[in-house]
Parts: sequence; C-alpha cells; structure tokens
Amino acid sequence: METNAFLDQLQQQTEVVLDLAIRQWQLIPPQDLAQVPEPGRWSAAQCLAHLNVYGNFYLPAIEKGILQGQKTGSSPARIFQSGFLGAYFTKIMQPDSKTKMKSPANAVPSTIVDPVQTLAQFIDQQERLLTLIDQARTVNLNQVRIPISIAPWILLKLGDTFGFYTAHQLRHVQQAERALMG
Amino acid sequence: MENFTIQFTLFPMSITNARDYFLRTWPQLPEEILQDLAGIFHPHSAKRKTILTAEGEVEKYLYLVLEGVQRAYAIGEDGREATLIFTYALSFSGVADSFLLQRPSRYWFETLTPSQFLRASFQDFDAVLCQHPRLERVLRLAICETLEGVLVRQIEVQSYTAEQRFRTLMQRSPHLLQLIPHKYIANYLGMDATNFSKLLGQIRI
Repeated sequence: METNAFLDQLQQQTEVVLDLAIRQWQLIPPQDLAQVPEPGRWSAAQCLAHLNVYGNFYLPAIEKGILQGQKTGSSPARIFQSGFLGAYFTKIMQPDSKTKMKSPANAVPSTIVDPVQTLAQFIDQQERLLTLIDQARTVNLNQVRIPISIAPWILLKLGDTFGFYTAHQLRHVQQAERALMG
Repeated sequence: MENFTIQFTLFPMSITNARDYFLRTWPQLPEEILQDLAGIFHPHSAKRKTILTAEGEVEKYLYLVLEGVQRAYAIGEDGREATLIFTYALSFSGVADSFLLQRPSRYWFETLTPSQFLRASFQDFDAVLCQHPRLERVLRLAICETLEGVLVRQIEVQSYTAEQRFRTLMQRSPHLLQLIPHKYIANYLGMDATNFSKLLGQIRI
C-alpha cells in the first residue's frame, strides 16, 4: 500500500474516534459511561480503560521507535508492505473479525474506573496518536520496528503496529458504543 | 464614528472569502479598500494540534478563522501550560502582539481541531495600511475592542470564583464544550479536571 495513503487512512480513522469522544462521550453523564449494560459485560469506561492500558505501552514505544528511526537516518518508503505476523494481528483485531479473543489479565479493567479521568486519558492518547502518525511520515514504516506488549522479543514493523493498534482500538470503541446503548 | 464588531462575532451565514467577511464587518469601507484588504488574505489549512507559532518566533501572519478552534498558551518555568485565549470562526487569530510589534512571541499558538484560515503576511498587511490610512483607524478601533476583551478577562481571572468563570464562559462560548477536549477549557478557567467535571454536571441537570 502507498505509505501516504496508509497514513492518511490511519489519521482519518483516529480523527473519527477522537471526534466521537469529544462531541459525544465528553457530554455524557459520568455515571452513564460507568454503567455496565449487563453483568459480565464491560461498561464504556471499562472499554476505554482497557484501550488506555495498551496506549500506555504502545504510544511511548512508537515514539521511541520513530525517534530512533530519525536518528539512524531512516527515510520514508513509497510503499508500506505488511509483514506476515503484522498482517495476521491486524486481521484478527478488526471489529468484524470472527476470531474471539480473551483480554490478558493485566488488561482487564477494574469495574471501578473513574469515568471522567479514563475518558480524559483516552482523548489525550488520541491526540498523541495523531501527532505520532504525522511524525511517522519522516521514517520508513517497513524499517522501524516496535515490540509487541505480550512478547517484547517479537518486533513488528511500525506500519503493522499502527495497523493492529488502530484496529484493536476500533473494536473496543464499537464495544463502548454498544455498552452505551445498553 | 466607524461602526464595527470584531471578536466573537458569529455570522449566521458561512463565509469563505475575505471580501465578504470585511464587507460584513466594516460595511462602511469603500469597495476599493475592501478589495485591497481582501487581496492580501490567502487560504491556509492545518491539522489538529499543529503549532502555528512557537514561543520565541515572530508572528508572520494575521489569521482569520473560517473553521476550527485554536488556542494561545504560555508554558511556565515549571512546564505548566496556561491557556490564554481560544479563537474560532469568525474571528482574527494568531499571536496579535507579536504580529503587530514584530517581536518574538512570549507564548504558543496551536490548532485544537482541524482548521481553515485566511491569512495575511505582515509585509502585505503593513503595505495595505500604508496605502489606505482609513484602514489604520478601523484597525485602531478593532484593537481597542480586543484590549477591552483582554482587560475583561483579567477581571474574570483575578476576581471571579471558579464557578463564576465557568458560568461566564458557558454564556459566551457554550459551543466549545462539544468542540474541544475539556482539559483545555478547564485549563483556561484555571481549575482541575475534577472541579470542571462537577460544574459541568451542575449545568447538565
């Protein structure tokens, strides 16, 4: 895929998520964000808290990767080509993927999260992600490698990290939307 | 007495070119001046969270906001941000003092949402003012209004309670609530996120 088109698409998708959080979620009473639709399901705030856990890992990792890339003279490639593992992770993370997944224990949010603070952190992370997508235009998405959270010895291409990170995000943003509908 | 309004003026119809804007703002200006003034403004767009002017830079442009929200903020020695002002359509924007005095800016100017502007460079702006002394007068009155706005804000900052500041902003610019992350509004009002959320809960009911 053309690198610029790929990054444009990521940016647009992130804008949509951020816009939803700013225009709608911010104005919802906090107790509604924390409302569990039924026992065993996550509240919207829990969905966002889950995403925040990954943001806390991936956003600094991506930032570090880009800085490293800039320092070592990485320059943008015209085409971004998904790696084998990266393409697989991105595929199974898509919201419409048939693959069921269980979140790792350390990423299962507590039932008592502060909805206001959780949403504020989520919004901060979207702003930061947009900045990083922009900075990624200065490096080669095929060359810069980012570890994955569950197995830091596995390194994925920066483009793939962006790909599955945003797919995972979309999955739980849609889940949050469903939780708000009850 | 030339009649004008400038800051926080929201026109019902959307404006896409500088001439229409100036015609509505200063209907008394002759067509020739309107044309010359409008001629120095050129379209510019910026993504969300783009720094348009950094501290220490001299402001190059006078912006007219067509779309989006921006803010000016200072960063203190302890690294804390202080949001000074928000701008949005249809108002002038940019670092006004740095632009007019052509001195380094003491603060930052950034977009908070994707933004569309018309902007004029200082050289062009200066030239058109020299050419049309009548514009100088219009501009002086506009700066007086801005000065008034700054001093009113100073009263709010120094003598209002947090709740009064919140209510004043909600009367002046309630639309900001659904346009930008609330942390910027809380910062502008000088309160923490928890307090802001409490006050927001009160007006929600």
